[in-house]
Amino acid sequence: MVRRIAAVLVLSAAIAACGGRSEDRPPANASVPVRGGSLVASLRSEPATFNRLVNGGNSSATDAITELTQATLVRVNRVTGTIEPALAERWSVSPDGRTFTLSLRKGVTFSDGVPLSADDVLFSFAVVYDPKVASVLAASLEVRNKPLRVTAPDSETVVITLPAPFAPGLALLDNLPILPKHQLEAAYAAGKFQDAWNVSTPPGSMAGLGPFVLTGYEPGQRLTFTRNPHYWRRDASGIQLPYLDSISMEIVASQDAELLRMQAGSIDLMTQADLRPQDYASLKRLAQGDGAVHLTELGPAVDANMLWFNLTRAAASRPGKSFVQRAEFRQAISYAVDRDAIVSSVYLGAATPIDGPVTPGNRTWYSDRAPKYPYDVARATALLAAIGLVDRNGDGMLEDASGARVRFTILTQANHIRGRVVTVLQEQLRQVGIAVDIAALDPRSMFQRFAAGDYDAMYYGFQASSLDPANNLDFWLSSGSAHVWNAGQTQPATPWERQIDDLMQQQMAAASLTERQRLFADVQRVFGENLPAICFVAPNVAIATSARVGGAQPALLDPKVLWASDQLFLIR
Amino acid sequence: MPALSSSFIARRILAAAALVFVVSSAALALADLAPGDYVTATIGGDPAVAAAERQRLHLDRPFAERYRHWIGRALTMDLGESFQYRRPVLGLVRERAGNTAMLALAALILATLLGIPAGIVSGSGGGIAARVIRITSLVLLAMPPLVTSFVLLTIAARTRWLPIAGMGGITHLVVPALSLALPLAAMLERLQSEAISDALERTHILAAAARGIPRRRLVWHHAWRVSLGPLLGVYGVVIGSLFSGSFVVEVIASWPGLASLMRDALMTRDAPLVAGCSAAGAVFLAAGVLVADLAHAALDPRVGAPGA
Repeated sequence: MVRRIAAVLVLSAAIAACGGRSEDRPPANASVPVRGGSLVASLRSEPATFNRLVNGGNSSATDAITELTQATLVRVNRVTGTIEPALAERWSVSPDGRTFTLSLRKGVTFSDGVPLSADDVLFSFAVVYDPKVASVLAASLEVRNKPLRVTAPDSETVVITLPAPFAPGLALLDNLPILPKHQLEAAYAAGKFQDAWNVSTPPGSMAGLGPFVLTGYEPGQRLTFTRNPHYWRRDASGIQLPYLDSISMEIVASQDAELLRMQAGSIDLMTQADLRPQDYASLKRLAQGDGAVHLTELGPAVDANMLWFNLTRAAASRPGKSFVQRAEFRQAISYAVDRDAIVSSVYLGAATPIDGPVTPGNRTWYSDRAPKYPYDVARATALLAAIGLVDRNGDGMLEDASGARVRFTILTQANHIRGRVVTVLQEQLRQVGIAVDIAALDPRSMFQRFAAGDYDAMYYGFQASSLDPANNLDFWLSSGSAHVWNAGQTQPATPWERQIDDLMQQQMAAASLTERQRLFADVQRVFGENLPAICFVAPNVAIATSARVGGAQPALLDPKVLWASDQLFLIR
Repeated sequence: MPALSSSFIARRILAAAALVFVVSSAALALADLAPGDYVTATIGGDPAVAAAERQRLHLDRPFAERYRHWIGRALTMDLGESFQYRRPVLGLVRERAGNTAMLALAALILATLLGIPAGIVSGSGGGIAARVIRITSLVLLAMPPLVTSFVLLTIAARTRWLPIAGMGGITHLVVPALSLALPLAAMLERLQSEAISDALERTHILAAAARGIPRRRLVWHHAWRVSLGPLLGVYGVVIGSLFSGSFVVEVIASWPGLASLMRDALMTRDAPLVAGCSAAGAVFLAAGVLVADLAHAALDPRVGAPGA
């Protein structure tokens, strides 16, 4: 076991020394694309619906299906972060930066041959904003909680006006697949949009603008996607995409079985592409051995798990837990944790120590000026003593001024790597005299406790959908629903949260990227000084594809490989 | 075959109906009592969306009201609609139950063909063969199904002799069926071994031996029939549990069966689907016990006779 960990550490160091990110070197398996062939991908869960807009549509399964079968007005390149034309071929911007006039690509038709028009765009926006539909995508298409204004002066032009200055601009539009009005209008008018495109819908009957069409669904087994003969995108040589004839997505619920299948060569790529630390080493051996697998190292993930405390007003009055409200307490915890130990013991070396929620993987927005918390038990102890938490009875554990032991519970996810991290935290905090209890629950029980405010601290994480902080306002703003330590505030509860709110509003409206980066660096500094949530490590991302896959452009953002599915091909 | 008395069959059917009712009601209640509900799927998110979804699914109503509604529909064989799949529960259960039945039947046949003869051999004689069989059974019994499944999957993956997941042709059945069959065969072997060695001590068997009936005939014809009684009682429960599905094997081998559907339903708190899967499991258990009783009655006319 020790030799295995050491081997992984050495391998990781070697890789870190000579590796680079995918955009610094030629794409994986660079060779001349050839049209034809089928790939097999794995999917870890069944889709609850094929309709991305309705409840259940935000699952990774439905998201993957949407990536393959639908298209958006613009596309955010997951590797470079730039906005690329998609269904909108070009656009112009008004001087105030709030109105975009988009010209739809000519000659585009849905997979059933019906031409795309601006009416489909208007329909898609009308549906997503309709409160009766209660779309899961609505919030991602709003600016300051207000919808975009969308009009169509003619069938090939769409005018989109932002309700307020918003620096990410058109990047928002990458969230909305353009739906076929001719197929879905009837269901929408009848108030049955929630049931449209459910999993009983015959495959092949759902028209889309994406590179593939869903042509087969065997519940619990697989989804089959076949090339969309009407797909509008061509490569630089003029060859119509996608290159592949079909993709078969096998439903494999167990990650262990998924790994075995990748090793056996019966799947070519994993849709939810992140590798577990324990899987990395075996796939690395395969990659270096017979080359059956290709591994792309992308560096630290852009999203990390975090330990946050319940800083709500209700929690502040709970007996014996007032110490968590003190920034010094949270800073002490951050100093008391040996992040390198978590990297080596839990992640087997495949992780990077971090100090804040914006990781070095987010190269555009990460600020090195944010406060750092190196492992320093003496400093942690001093901070705790400064707020009256000392060992008053010589038992090695801290007590507050009333003599009550300093103790709190961390809620986390059972049967997950998060649980292992929390076990390490428990031991490390015990070294500084803090008693930690662990409540490892299934996700829904955990969310229920969170929603009820019935917790002291929680260790969990969120998948980043965008690198741009302006697209993550629900986390940064005090009024946000994902401002987890004290969500949905009507007024900022603390001066530092008010400061972050102000900085975020400024950076959202700032004209230049440099100015936005400067403002967001200040946000990270204020966050780091007050530490409502503590981050310890970001897992290193490695994407595995079989050696016969060409054209893959692995990215840190989901869907890590399928975002450019039209350019995948088989290496002959 | 001797007929079971009609009162016996009627009692069994009534008991089965009661079992199905109790199990599915309990499952519905427990799914409701568990923390969180179907809508509590994430942290953050739009509260208005969550409220609208709860209203659509009637999760904003008291459990008693939802239960009354469910019972009323269940009596007409309408088990409601799955929250996550938005499809009738009965249809979903029927689809998956068929897959589980295929796997269960294959596992049962394999386990019987392996376990029963092995038990007869180990219970009726000594020697190396009996010892090897006993040790093999103990090892298989000690191995959790998860480990058995992974060992077989790893062998299949390394050798590429067999597909390692999913449903397809008969070759896809081998790994998951063996994963289920091997521990079951070991259990049947142990039971059969005990039963046959007891049977060989019976007076009429000893008398037959004294009359010069060959050992082979004595074991495989006379003693075996006597030993089947206790075994058939176990078969009822075994059939029931096999046909309810093995969560571990179905998930590891990506076999789209009832147990993996139940697991998804539990994880997502899809209460109608939990109740439907539980009802299906109860039906299989009751059916399995009835089949075992029929077989037992075929062997022993005292079973199922009027007044039994």
